[in-house]
Amino acid sequence: MLIRYKDMRLVNSLMVSLQKMALLAMECRFDSLGLGAAEKAARARLSVAGEAAEHAAESIEAAGQAAGSIPAGQMAGEVDKRKLTILGEGTRHDVCASTFSPRSRPLPGICHAFTQDGRCVSLFKTLYTNLCSHQCGYCSNSSGCKSKSRTFSYTPEELARITLSLYQGNYIEGLFLSSGAGRDEERITEKMIDTIRLLRLRHSFSGYIHLKILPGSSEYHIQEAMMLADRVSINLEAASASHMSEICSTKSYESDILQRQRYIRHFMAEIKSKEGVSILPAGQTTQMVVGAGSESDEEIFRRAVFEYDEIGVKRTYYSAFSPQRGTMLEKRHAQPLWRERRLYQMDWLYRIYGFEKDEIRCAFDDNGFLNNSDPKLAIARDCLDLPLDPNTASYPQLLRVPGIGPKSAGRILAWRKRQPIASKKELAALGVRIKRASPFLKINGWIDGTMEMWQA
Amino acid sequence: MKRDWNLSFYLSMHRECNERLLARADRMEWSQMELSQQKEDIRIKRMADEVAGEVHRMKAFVRLSSLGSGALYGYLKPRHRIGEIVCDHFARRNQGVIVLLGNGRESWISYCREGRIRRERGNGLEESLEKLKSALQIEDGRHNDAVSDGLDAEGIWQAYYDSQYCPERKNLALYRRHMPRRDQEAAGLRLVQNKREITLDDFWQQKTVL
Repeated sequence: MLIRYKDMRLVNSLMVSLQKMALLAMECRFDSLGLGAAEKAARARLSVAGEAAEHAAESIEAAGQAAGSIPAGQMAGEVDKRKLTILGEGTRHDVCASTFSPRSRPLPGICHAFTQDGRCVSLFKTLYTNLCSHQCGYCSNSSGCKSKSRTFSYTPEELARITLSLYQGNYIEGLFLSSGAGRDEERITEKMIDTIRLLRLRHSFSGYIHLKILPGSSEYHIQEAMMLADRVSINLEAASASHMSEICSTKSYESDILQRQRYIRHFMAEIKSKEGVSILPAGQTTQMVVGAGSESDEEIFRRAVFEYDEIGVKRTYYSAFSPQRGTMLEKRHAQPLWRERRLYQMDWLYRIYGFEKDEIRCAFDDNGFLNNSDPKLAIARDCLDLPLDPNTASYPQLLRVPGIGPKSAGRILAWRKRQPIASKKELAALGVRIKRASPFLKINGWIDGTMEMWQA
Repeated sequence: MKRDWNLSFYLSMHRECNERLLARADRMEWSQMELSQQKEDIRIKRMADEVAGEVHRMKAFVRLSSLGSGALYGYLKPRHRIGEIVCDHFARRNQGVIVLLGNGRESWISYCREGRIRRERGNGLEESLEKLKSALQIEDGRHNDAVSDGLDAEGIWQAYYDSQYCPERKNLALYRRHMPRRDQEAAGLRLVQNKREITLDDFWQQKTVL
C-alpha cells in the first residue's frame, strides 16, 4: 500500500495490541456517548446548572411514568413501530435536512440514506406528539383532520434512547424534533426541551439537534431551546397574514410566528454582545407551503427576502402543497413540484449569486407567477442587453450569464490572469455550460447569437 | 475539487495510484491543479474525487452494531484503500469505544480517547471479531444488547425510513444517483426498496391527488 501521510511514523507507533485497546475501552465503558473526558468537563462547566439538570431528569422520569402511554415492558425493549411510523410521517413534508453545524469544526453534512423520492434522510425527524389543537387546512395532524385515527406521544426518555441508539448505529446525524401543539403548546415545548436536555446533559450527546419552536411558545422556552439546539425554526407556512387566515384560523401570523422569529434573532445578538459566545451555530430557518393559499410566487419570494434581510434566517425552505386525506384542503389540487424547484432557484439567485431584488422580479409574469423555465435565463434575456466578453467581465457580471456559476466564474478569473480566453472549448473546460452561455458571450470578438437568446 | 483538500492524501488511497502521479500532485499547487487542462492532471483530479466521494459515502452508509459495551463493528468493503480513515472517523465519533470495520479479507480496528487514536489491522471481519470478543471477554450470544440499550436499531430505522417516503414525489432516478448500488453493497447496506406497505387507502389518496 502507498502511504503518504506525513505522520506515518507516528501512526505506526500508535499501533497497539487488541488486548490493550480492550482494556482501555473497558476502563471508560461508563463514559457517556460521543465525548471525551476533557470535552465533557468543558460541557459540564457550560451547562446551565448540574443540579437543575438532575432535577429536570427526575421530573421527566415522573412525567414518563405518569403518561402511561407506553407499557413498562415496551419501554425496556421494543418501541411501538406504529408510533414510529405515524410520528415519522407527520414530519415528512418538512424539507430541511441540513446537518451542517460549525459547533466544533465545520464538517460537511452527511446523508445517511435517501428515500425513493430522492430526499436525504440524515436526521431522526419526528413529531413529539401528533395531537394538535390548531386547525391548519393542509396538515394531517390538525384537529380538524377527519382521517386521523390515533394520537401518539413519546416520553422524553424514550425519544432520547431511540435517538442515541440510531446515532450510535450511524443511521442518523442527529434529531429533528417537531410536534403538534397538543392541548397546551407550553407543556409540549417543555417536554421537547426536556428531551434535548436529556440528550445533551445526561448523555453528552454531541450530534446535531434541530428543534421546531411551536407557534406561541414563551420567550423563556425559546431561550432554553436555543441554548441546547444547533438550529431552531418556526414555519411561516404562508406568505402573509391574510394568506395565513385562508389556511389556518387558529394561528396569529404576527404574534405567534413573526414575533417569535424576531425574538430568536434578538436573543442571539444579545448573547453575542454580552457574553461574546455564539449560540445556535446553525441559526434559524423557516418553511412555507407553496400553493396551499392563493399567494403568488412573487409574494412568496418577497416574504423570503424579508426573512433573509429582516429576520436573518439562514435558509427558507419551500414545500409544494399536496392535499392530505381528511383535511380541510383535501379537494384542492396538488401543486406541481416544478413550482417549488423554481422558487429554490430564485432563492439561490438572491442568496448565492447576489442578484438584486429588482433584477429578479423580471422572472415573474404579470400575475406574479414563475414559468416552468430557468428563471436565470428569463432574467438574462431581460437584463443582459449586450453580449459579455469573458476576458473583461467582472465576477458579478459573469454570474449573471446562464451556464456560469460561482465556481466556473472563479475559474475564469483565475485563468485569464495567465492567458486570455480564446475559445468556447477553453470555457467548457473551466466548467461553463457552453450551450446555455454562448448566446450571451462574445469570445474573441465573435458573438454566438442564436434564436435561443431572442425567443420570447 | 474543494480548496481545502489535500489532493495527495486522497490520491494516495486510490487503488490505481502510483509514485509518478503522487510526485506530480505533490509538485503542483492547488490553484495550478484546479485550472490545469493536462490529461494527466485531469486524471489525478478525477482519482482524488473518486476517493473523497467513496470516503464520504462510506461515512454515511456503514452501519454499526454493538459488541458489548465497549465495541462497535460493521461491514466495509471499499474499492479504494480507505478502510483506515473511515474506521478512524467512527472511532472519533464514538470516543472510548473500539470500532471494528472489515470484510472477508481485511479489517481495521481503531480506538480513540481524548483525541488520540490507536489502530490495528486484521485479516478479516470474522477473525477480528472473534479476537475482539475474547479480548473483551464477551461470551457468544450476549453481545448485541449492551450499548444500544436493548433497542432494535435496525427495526426502528426501517420503520422510520419507510415513514419518510412521499409517494407523490417518487423519483427513482434521483434515488439511484444519490445511493449507487455499488456503494450500498460496499457498506453492506440492506436497505429494502418499496418496503412501505401500500394500502387501498393510499391508492384512493393518490387518485384524489391526480
